[in-house]
Amino acid sequence: MNYAIETNGLSKFYGDVRAVNSVDLRVGIGEIYGFLGLNGAGKTTTIRALLGMIRPSEGNVRVLNQVLGAGGRGPWSRVGHLVESPAAYPELTVCENLDIARRLHGIQNQKTVDDVMDKLSIASYADRKAGTLSSGNFQRLGLARALLHSPELLILDEPSNALDPAGIVEIRELLISMAREHGTTIFMSSHILTEVNLLADRIGIIHKGKLIEELDAARLEELRSKQLVIGARNMDKARDALNGFDVTALDDGRLGIKDARAIEAPEMIATLLVNAGTPPIHLAIEQENLEEYFLRLTQ
Amino acid sequence: MKNLSSALWVEFLKGRRSKVPFFTALGFSIVPLIGGLFMIILKDPEAAKSMGLISAKAQLTVGVADWTAFFNLIAQAVAVGGAILFAIVTAWIFGREFSDHTAKELLALPTPRATIIGAKFIVIAAWTFTLSLFVFGFGLVVGKLVVIPGWSTELMQTAFVDILGSAVLTIILLPFVALVASMGRGYLPAFGWTILTVAMAQIAAVTGWGDWFPWSIPALFSGAVGPRVTQLGLHSYVIILLASMIGLAATFYWWRNADQTK
Repeated sequence: MNYAIETNGLSKFYGDVRAVNSVDLRVGIGEIYGFLGLNGAGKTTTIRALLGMIRPSEGNVRVLNQVLGAGGRGPWSRVGHLVESPAAYPELTVCENLDIARRLHGIQNQKTVDDVMDKLSIASYADRKAGTLSSGNFQRLGLARALLHSPELLILDEPSNALDPAGIVEIRELLISMAREHGTTIFMSSHILTEVNLLADRIGIIHKGKLIEELDAARLEELRSKQLVIGARNMDKARDALNGFDVTALDDGRLGIKDARAIEAPEMIATLLVNAGTPPIHLAIEQENLEEYFLRLTQ
Repeated sequence: MKNLSSALWVEFLKGRRSKVPFFTALGFSIVPLIGGLFMIILKDPEAAKSMGLISAKAQLTVGVADWTAFFNLIAQAVAVGGAILFAIVTAWIFGREFSDHTAKELLALPTPRATIIGAKFIVIAAWTFTLSLFVFGFGLVVGKLVVIPGWSTELMQTAFVDILGSAVLTIILLPFVALVASMGRGYLPAFGWTILTVAMAQIAAVTGWGDWFPWSIPALFSGAVGPRVTQLGLHSYVIILLASMIGLAATFYWWRNADQTK
């Protein structure tokens, strides 16, 4: 199978520190891959290795079917990237910064700069010096440079950084349309779990340099634990009525049951409580949120 | 080199939009102006005496008011001042990519890294050589305005070779400044390196080893401390060329192979 990104035993050591340790990544063509990890987990080191900016200590990296060679040679005319915080020449205008990228990409058509500024809603800042932009617009400039040459593969490190809520939605929709309508492969790292959850087809979780989990977004839904949360006026009586189940007292005083029987048939629990003379005032199935799942995995 | 014209356009745009070319030209224009001031003082010894310290300094440095002394002063200033000013230009061109965090935007591109580095060196050479020409030309204007005695076309031609030759020898050593700015990922290490080499060049020259030490050779070439045929030999030119090639190769190698983590 052809992958947009393939790493085999990718490792990067800095002295005794194993920043990335035997990571095997497979990102399919047209896929949106969310790369999750805590600060210092190895996300940016992995991304730099994918872009040929650092040389692996062990293993290899293949991008768009090309093994990255010495001197960072790779299929860069087909790859767009945004690594860590965006960067631009502060004394140059937005338009000039993008024109630099256009020329270094060998693109003749000057209209590509106007098009990408329109796409990222920064056309009104075209003549503004990059150094005077707000952090949100600076992020958009970084994204514009990544998208300028309509790449087949986008490697984005924290693309939603510094964007306001409306900007986050706008960029999310833009990335989804690129993937769905143009078949662009997107590899994005983030620590904003809900953002990754909303975007990604597949998720990889890196922790202490190791890829500890790789799963489809749908599977992630299944893995996040569920429980039936119960509230009643007399919690002691309610607890006695549910003694056949593994009941845990929650921090807010309510009760939680992870038993599959209770989750599949909450009406049965309601009947039990009514029959015990303590009818429920709250009965709901709650799913472990992504943060809780992530912390459970990484602790 | 693939895409060299684009990379050159990019580097020239960055230079054009910054204030550094203006300030380097301004800084270098002081050299002929000070030379002109010394000539005015030396032309009128009575006035020089009444000016105290400044005239005493002028007497010590230049001696008499003529074109030979004036060109010598410019040659000395270009040899020593050029080493510092040209290093500032080089440190800015390379070091700014790290200070502005733009180095990472130069790595994963269809334009090879070697082309981008080559374009940077071409811009440095063009910029610093233009500065040297400017100082020489501005010196001629100042000299004519001050009406310095002892003009001859032959003298001007000799001075042109001395000053521009010294500048070229300074320029070909700049790859080391680029290398240190790259390895040190910013301006400061490059400035430290420049101060070190200027100091070492003085020591090498004073101890009589200047003809063997690359960073002493430009000043010795300028004729500032005597005729260059007595100061330098063929080995001096071989050494400075070798040093230049090592600096260039090391800079290209570094950009090709070093891990880029900033």
